[in-house]
Amino acid sequence: MGTIDQLISKVSSKGVEGFAGIWEDEHQFVEAARKTRESGVEGFEAISPFPLHGIDEAMGIPRSFIPWVTFFAGLTGGTFGLWFTWWTSAVNWPINIAGKPMWSLPAFIPIIFELTILFGALSSVGALIYICGLPKVDPPVIDPDLSCHKFGLFVPKTAKGFDQQKLTDLFNQMGALEVKETRF
Amino acid sequence: MENINDLKPQPKYWMSLDQWTQDPEFLKMAENEFLSSPLAEGSGQSGWARREFLKLMGASLALTTFGCVRRPVQKIIPYAKKPEEIIHGLPNYYSSSYFDGAEAFGIVVQTRDGRPIKIEGNTNHPATEGGMSARAHAHILKLYDPDRLKGPVKNLQNDAKTNNETINVTWEKMDEEIVALLKKGKVALLTSSLPSPASQKLISDFSNKSGAKSYVYDEIGYEAVREGRKLSFGDSSLPQIQLDQAKYILAVNNDFLGTWLTPVSFQRQFAKGRKPVDGKMSKLVVVESLLSMTGTNADERFKIKPSQTLDFLMGLAHELNSVMKVGGATSNSAITSALSRFKNVESTLGLPEGVISKIASEISKHRGQSVVLAGGMVSNSSDAVAIQVATNLINSILSNEGSTIGSGTSTAAQGSFEDVMSLIKSIESGNVETLVIHGVNPVFSLPESSGFQAALRKVSNVIYVGDRKDETGFQSDYIATASHALESWGDMESSAGVHSLQQPTIRPLYDTRSFEESLLVWTKALGGSGGLLESSSWYEYLKAYWKSSVYSKASSAKSFENFWNDSLKSGVVDLSGSKSLSRKSFQFQAISAISSSRSSISGMELSLYSTVGLGSGDLANVSWLQEFPDPVTKICWDNYFNFSIEDAKDLHISEGQMVSVKIGDKSQEGPAHIQPGQAKGVVGLAVGYGRTRGGKVCDGVGINAFNFAQVQSGELITSGLPIEVKVLKKSYSLACTQGHHSMEGRQIVVEETLAQFVKNPGGNVHRHKMMTMFEEHKYPGHKWGMTIDLNSCTGCGACVIACQSENNIPTVGKKYVLQGREMHWIRIDRYYVGEPENPNTVNQPIVCMHCDNAPCESVCPVAATVHSDEGTNDMIYNRCVGTRYCANNCPYKVRRFNWFSYTDVESPKHMAMNPEVTVRHRGVMEKCTFCIHRIKHTKQQTKLEGKTIQDGDLQVACQQSCPTKAIVFGDLNDPNSQVAKQFSEPQSYELLQELNTKPAVRYHTKVRNVETLKGAKGHGGSHAGDKEEHHS
Amino acid sequence: MIKRRPLVLGSKTYKDITDDICELVETFPPMKFFATLLSANFLFLIFVLAQGAIVFKGMGLMGVNHPVGWGTDIVTFVFWIGIGHAGTLISAVLFLFRQKWRTSIARTAEAMTVFAVMTAGLFPILHTGRPWLAYWLLPYPNQRGPLWVNFRSPLVWDVFAVSTYATVSIVFWYIGMVPDLATIRDRAKNPWRKRIYGALSLGWRGTARNWNHYEMVYMLLAGLSTPLVLSVHSIVSFDFAVATLPGWHTTIFPPYFVAGAIFSGFAMVVTLMTLVRILVPKFKDYVTMDHMEAMNKIIMATGLMVGYAYGSEFFIAWYSGVEYEQYAFLNRAFGPMAWSYWIMVTCNVLIPQVFWFKSMRRNIPVMFVVSIFVNIGMWFERFVITVTSLHRDFLPSNWGMFDFTIFDIGAIVGSFGLFFTLFLLYIRALPAISIAEVKPVLNVGREGGDHGHH
Repeated sequence: MGTIDQLISKVSSKGVEGFAGIWEDEHQFVEAARKTRESGVEGFEAISPFPLHGIDEAMGIPRSFIPWVTFFAGLTGGTFGLWFTWWTSAVNWPINIAGKPMWSLPAFIPIIFELTILFGALSSVGALIYICGLPKVDPPVIDPDLSCHKFGLFVPKTAKGFDQQKLTDLFNQMGALEVKETRF
Repeated sequence: MENINDLKPQPKYWMSLDQWTQDPEFLKMAENEFLSSPLAEGSGQSGWARREFLKLMGASLALTTFGCVRRPVQKIIPYAKKPEEIIHGLPNYYSSSYFDGAEAFGIVVQTRDGRPIKIEGNTNHPATEGGMSARAHAHILKLYDPDRLKGPVKNLQNDAKTNNETINVTWEKMDEEIVALLKKGKVALLTSSLPSPASQKLISDFSNKSGAKSYVYDEIGYEAVREGRKLSFGDSSLPQIQLDQAKYILAVNNDFLGTWLTPVSFQRQFAKGRKPVDGKMSKLVVVESLLSMTGTNADERFKIKPSQTLDFLMGLAHELNSVMKVGGATSNSAITSALSRFKNVESTLGLPEGVISKIASEISKHRGQSVVLAGGMVSNSSDAVAIQVATNLINSILSNEGSTIGSGTSTAAQGSFEDVMSLIKSIESGNVETLVIHGVNPVFSLPESSGFQAALRKVSNVIYVGDRKDETGFQSDYIATASHALESWGDMESSAGVHSLQQPTIRPLYDTRSFEESLLVWTKALGGSGGLLESSSWYEYLKAYWKSSVYSKASSAKSFENFWNDSLKSGVVDLSGSKSLSRKSFQFQAISAISSSRSSISGMELSLYSTVGLGSGDLANVSWLQEFPDPVTKICWDNYFNFSIEDAKDLHISEGQMVSVKIGDKSQEGPAHIQPGQAKGVVGLAVGYGRTRGGKVCDGVGINAFNFAQVQSGELITSGLPIEVKVLKKSYSLACTQGHHSMEGRQIVVEETLAQFVKNPGGNVHRHKMMTMFEEHKYPGHKWGMTIDLNSCTGCGACVIACQSENNIPTVGKKYVLQGREMHWIRIDRYYVGEPENPNTVNQPIVCMHCDNAPCESVCPVAATVHSDEGTNDMIYNRCVGTRYCANNCPYKVRRFNWFSYTDVESPKHMAMNPEVTVRHRGVMEKCTFCIHRIKHTKQQTKLEGKTIQDGDLQVACQQSCPTKAIVFGDLNDPNSQVAKQFSEPQSYELLQELNTKPAVRYHTKVRNVETLKGAKGHGGSHAGDKEEHHS
Repeated sequence: MIKRRPLVLGSKTYKDITDDICELVETFPPMKFFATLLSANFLFLIFVLAQGAIVFKGMGLMGVNHPVGWGTDIVTFVFWIGIGHAGTLISAVLFLFRQKWRTSIARTAEAMTVFAVMTAGLFPILHTGRPWLAYWLLPYPNQRGPLWVNFRSPLVWDVFAVSTYATVSIVFWYIGMVPDLATIRDRAKNPWRKRIYGALSLGWRGTARNWNHYEMVYMLLAGLSTPLVLSVHSIVSFDFAVATLPGWHTTIFPPYFVAGAIFSGFAMVVTLMTLVRILVPKFKDYVTMDHMEAMNKIIMATGLMVGYAYGSEFFIAWYSGVEYEQYAFLNRAFGPMAWSYWIMVTCNVLIPQVFWFKSMRRNIPVMFVVSIFVNIGMWFERFVITVTSLHRDFLPSNWGMFDFTIFDIGAIVGSFGLFFTLFLLYIRALPAISIAEVKPVLNVGREGGDHGHH
C-alpha cells in the first residue's frame, strides 16, 4: 500500500502558484504568447485543446529531440535481432534444417526488421510519456474549456520576469477573456 | 447393488474362470468387488458416499478447468516375475507358419514381453523366402480382435435356428454333451482343406472312432484345376509352377500375382524372371475380363469375357497345333477335329486382328520356357474344367509340362463343392444328426441357392469350431471356441516335402482350444487309444506324428529331440529334394471334356473375384484390411459392381451410382465403379464383403457376393453369370484413396521398353542439372537411403500393412478416408497410361523421401521436424503443435495428420501396439521414419557386439515384407552396400528432381517387354478415370 | 490555388465539434444500438461454440484434410489481417502525405485495424492441432535444453510481424486518443467518469511543449507504421510465397497481397462508415460524401491493381514454362473449384468498375453494396490461393477436394461477431472522431481561406 502512495505522490502534482489568462481566438492567443515572451518572461506555459501552428516559434520551443531516441532504439532493436537469430540458430542450437546453413541471414531479415520497428516505436512513446511527465493523477485544471475551445497562458510565480500587474495589463490588452490567479 | 461385506465368503475355487463365466451371482459379486460404485461406502441406502462425492466433484472441477484433452492417463503394471528367455525391451522371434487359403507362409513372429506384435516372413521357407502378403501381416490383429468369443458357448436354438440366446459353458460340460452326441452316431465333419498332415491324421482317427464322414470344402476352391489335371494327366494334385523358369507367361483370366493359388511365392518367382539380365527378361501377357493385379503388371493385355475364356484358349491351341504344327499332337485326329471348331474364334472374341497368331508365334519361340495359366474365380464359369484341360493341352503342346509346370503334392485346397452337395444330400436323407464345422463359414460363403443354409437347420446338433459367433456360429448349437493360429500348435506341408511347424507364440488369451485339441479330446473320449492317440495333448500328438512321419523321412543323424528343436528354430524342414518337375503326358481323350460343355452369353455377365485385401472374407473384421486400398481400384471399405468404361457410357452410369443387378430371380442393389481396362459386357463383384455377423468392423460393409454364385449341374459357378443391370437414381460415395489416375504427362513413373533399357538404361529419364548457393551439410557417419525398383513392384501392398503393423498406424474409417485422412505411411500410387479402355498400369510405392533439402523442415515454426546427421528426416511428435505447414509444403504429400485422437483403441487391440514406436497424440503430424527405431536397435546391437553395421544387418519393415524385394534400404556411405550401388545405377532417378529436394529415396525405371510404350513420350497423358474425383 | 471543399460541414465552432463528438460518449445509447450489439454478440457466441468444439474434439471437425492442410482458418486470418491495413494506411500513410481529409475517419479506421488484427490473431492459434501449445512459437528461454524456434519458418516471421503490428497499432491508436480523453475528462460531471477518463488520458494537459513532442512522436509512429504495414502483409504473403507449392511459390505475392489488403481494408472502412453515418447522423458533417468518394476512388484503384495481379499471375505461369505452375493456374480458372475463382474475379475486378461514375461513387447504397462484395471477393481471393493451390499439386495421386463443414461456417461468421462486438463498444466508449485533429482543419475550404494552416 505504502509503495502505491509513494507512486501516486510521485506522479500527482498539486501544481505551482501562478497567473493565467484565457483566450478564445487562437490568433490573439499566439500573439499574446509572443508578446509575453518578448516582455522577458521565461518558463511559462501555453495550454491549447489542439496543437497550434506558430506557437512553437512564438514561445521559442526548440524541435523535439525524440527522433534521436527513435533512431538509436531502432538501431538497438535491429542489432539485437541480428545477434539473437544468429546466436540461437548458429551458436546455441545449431541444427540441420532443410539443409540450409546454420546462419541463414536472408531468412532472418524479417525478424530483424520487425524488432527494429518495435523497439523504435515503443521507446519513442516511452520518451514522450517521460518528457511530458505523464502519467499525472488529477493535475489542477485552470479552466475545463482549455481542452475544448479556449486557450490559456500560465506564468508561474517562480518564473523569471514574473510581474502580476504587467501581465494583467498585457493579457487584457491582448484581448484575454479573463485573467486570474491559479495553480497549474 | 448389495454391499460387498454382505457377501458370504466364497470358497477359493470360485475364482476359476469356468464358474466365473457360468455363475451370474458370482459375476454380480465380481462387479461389486472390482467396480467402485457411488454406494460403495454408504451402507446400501440411497445418497452418495462422501469420498465418491468429493471424487466426482474433483473430476467435474478438473473437467471444467481442463479445456483441452491431454495425454490420457493409463494404469501401468510392474513386471514382477520375468521368464528368463525374455529380456525386457528386446523382442523375441519365434518361427511359425501361417496358412491362407491355398498358400502356407513361413513366418517369424515378433513378440515383446510375451505378446506377439508383428508377423514377418521366414527367409528359410523355400516358397515365400521371407515374402509376405497384406493378409499375412493383418493376421496378427485378428488375435486381438475384441469380437472373439472368450470361451466355449452354447446357443439355445429353436427349430428355425434363429433363437440367439447364448450361454457360457465350461469345456468339461461341453465335451460331456458333445461326446454324448457323437456316441449317438450319424456324425459328419465339414472342414476347410487343412494344410496339416498331422491334423488330417487326427481327423481320420476321429472319423474311425465316431464314424463321422469328413467333407472338405474351400470357400475359394480349386477343384476345377484338380479336375482338369485329373482328366489331362490322371493326377488330381495341384500343379507346381516355376515362373522364374518361364521366359513367356500367358495368364488367361488368372490372377496368379494377386489371389490365385500361392501368389506370394509366384510374385517371388515372377520378380526373378523380370530382372533384365543380359538383355533378356520374361514377358507377361494377360488376357482377362476384369483388371486384376496380374493385369496391372502385364506387358501386353487383351480383354475377353469370362464366357470367352475357353474359346480363346482353344483358338490358341488350334493356332499352335493345327496351323503352326507345334507339339506332338499335330497328327492326333481327336485333337485336331476338336480344335477345328475354333478355327476362327478371333473375330467372335472381338480381339484385335491377328492377336492369337501373334501370341502363338511368340510363345512357341519359348517352348519349354513358357507357361500358360488359367483358373481362379473369374474363369470359374461353367467351362471351368474345360478351361483347365485346354490350358494343360497348350502347356503340353509347348512341352512346358514338366519344365515350368508339373504335378505337385500340395495338401492345400483339396476342398470341393461336390462334398458340400453330398453333405446336403445326406442331411436331407436324415443321415446327419451331428455336424462338426471348422475352418469354413458356409452360411456366409455358400449361396442360399445351394440349399446349405436350409439343410443346416435340419441338423439337430451343429458344433461349430470357430473363434466367434459368426454367420455359421449363429446357426450352430455349440461353439467350441477355437484359438487363434498364433495360440496353437500345428504343422503344414505347403508343397511336396516342404514341412513347416506352427508354434504358438502366446498362451491362449481366452478360455479357448484349437480345433485339433478339441478333436483329440473327443476322439479319446470316444475310446480312441493306441498309436498317436496315446499322446496326452495335441502337442504330444503332433510331436509323435513328426517323429513317425517327418523325422523318419528326414534321415537325419540328430536325435529326434534335436531334430524337433532345430525344426522349431528354423520353422521349416525341406525334404522336397530335387526341384525338377515330373513330366506327365497329356491324355488325348481328355479333349472330350471340352466338346461336352460350351457356354455363351449374349447380354451382360457377372464375374465374382476375390481381392488381395479380403480374400474370402475370413479376415474381414481386421480394420487394417478394410482400410487397405485395393491394389487395382484403390477403393477401401466397400465392394462394388465394376463396370467397363464402354458399358458405363452406354448405360449412363457415373462413379458411385447405385445399380440394381438381377441374377435369376434375385436382384441386389450396390454402387457402381467404373474400371478402366475392363472388358465390355462384364460386371465384376468382389467376395469377402457383406458379412452380417463377422464383428463390429466388417458387419454391413459391402454386399455378400457369394450369394451370386450359382449351382449348375453340381458345380458352383462364380463367373460368366448372366445378369440384367438396372441403373438407379441414387448415388453412393466410394472411399477411394487416389482421386486421380493420370500422370498428366508429368515425369512420375518412368517407363522404358526392354530395347531402350538395353541400349541406354534410364534414357527416358529427363534429368536436370541442379545447383546450390551454399555449402551443403556433410553426413560423415551413416547416410540412410532407399531404392525402389518399379520394375519389380507388383503393387501387392504387403508393405502397406507391414508398415501399419510395425508403426502403430491407426485406421480412420470410411467417413474420413472419403476426406483423404487415411494414415498410411507408405502408399502405393497407381496410374493408368494409354487409352482408358485398355490402359497400361504402373504402381509406385511412395514413402517419405527423407530429402536432404526437405521443404517440410524449413517451414516448421517450432523445429519439430529436422534433419538428423544420418540423413533421416526426423519428426519430433511431442514438439509438434500441428500447423500442418510441413504437409502443405511436402511435394510428395507423405505426411499424415492426427485430425482426432486415434490412439484409444478398443481393448485388447492395444496389445498389438509396437512399444518401440511412439503412439501419436491428437493434433500432431506423422510420417515414415525409415523405421528409425530399427536403425537405433541395430546400432545398439552391433555396438554391443563391438562390430559396425554391415549391409543387410538392417531391414526396414516394408523392405522386409516385400515378396519381390523391390525395396532396398541401407547405408549410402558404404560403397559396397546394395543401396549405394543401386543409387548410382543409370536407371535410378529422383522423383520431382527439379525441386532440388535431394531425396534419399530413388526409383528404378519400369521396364516393359514390348516394342513401344503406351502413351509414348511424356508418360501417360491419358485421363483415365478423370471423372473419378472421390474426395468430393 | 484551387478552391478546396470544406472538410467539416455546417459551419461549426470548436465547441460544436467537441459537443458533437463527445455526445456519443456522454449520452445513454438508444435501443437500436443495443439491438445491434446483441446481434453481434450472438455471432460471437457462434464463434466461441465452433472454435470451442474444434479445440475440444480436434481439427478434424473442419473441412481441412489431406492434401488441403490449410482452409477456412488461415483464409480468414489473412482476410482480417488485410482488413486491418487500411486503418494504418489512413492514419499513417495519408498523414505523412498531409492528406487533411483523413482526420475525421482516421480514428475509426485505426480502431478497425486494432480489432481486425485482434480477430485475425486468434486464427493461426486456433488452426493448429494443439492450440494450447501455441506459445511454443515464441523464442523464450526454456529448460528443454537449448531449444529455440525455427527462424527460417514464415510462421515465426508471422508471429513477430503480427504481434509487432498489433502492438504498434494499439499504441498509435491510444496515443492519438489521449488529448481527446483529456477533453472528455474535463467535460465529465460524474466523478467516476472523471476518474476513468482521467486515468485513460494519463493526466494530459496540452501545454505547447507537450504538443510539440506529441506531434513529433505522432509523426514518428506514422513513419514507423508505414513500412510496418507494408512488411506485415508481405510477410503474411511469404507464408505462401516461400513454399514450394505451385500457385504459392510466386514472387508477385508481397505487392499483390499489400494491394489486396488496402483494397479490402478500404472496403471495410466504407462499410463501417456508412453504418456509422446511419447510426450517428451527426457524423455526416464530419464524414462527408467527399470522404466517402475519396475512399471509393482508392477502392477502384487498388481493385485495378489486384486485377492486374490476377492477370500477370497467369502470364508468368505460362511464361515460366513450368508444367506444374501452368496446371495450377489453369486448374484455378477451369478446375473443379473454379467457382471460387470466378466469384473472386467478379467481386474484386468487375463490380468495383461502377466507381468510374461519380454518381455511383457518391451514392451511399451503391458503395455499401460494392464494399460488401469486395469483402466477399477478397475472402475468396485468399481461399483461391490457399485451397485451389493445395488441392491439386505435384503428384496427381494426391489430388483431393475441399468441402466446408458447419464448423468452417461458424468460424467465419463468428469472427464478424467478435469484430463488431468490439467495434460497437468502441463507438460508444471512446471518441470516434479525433477531436484534436479535426479542429485544426475546421477552417479548410471555408470563406476567408485556410486559417488552420499558416
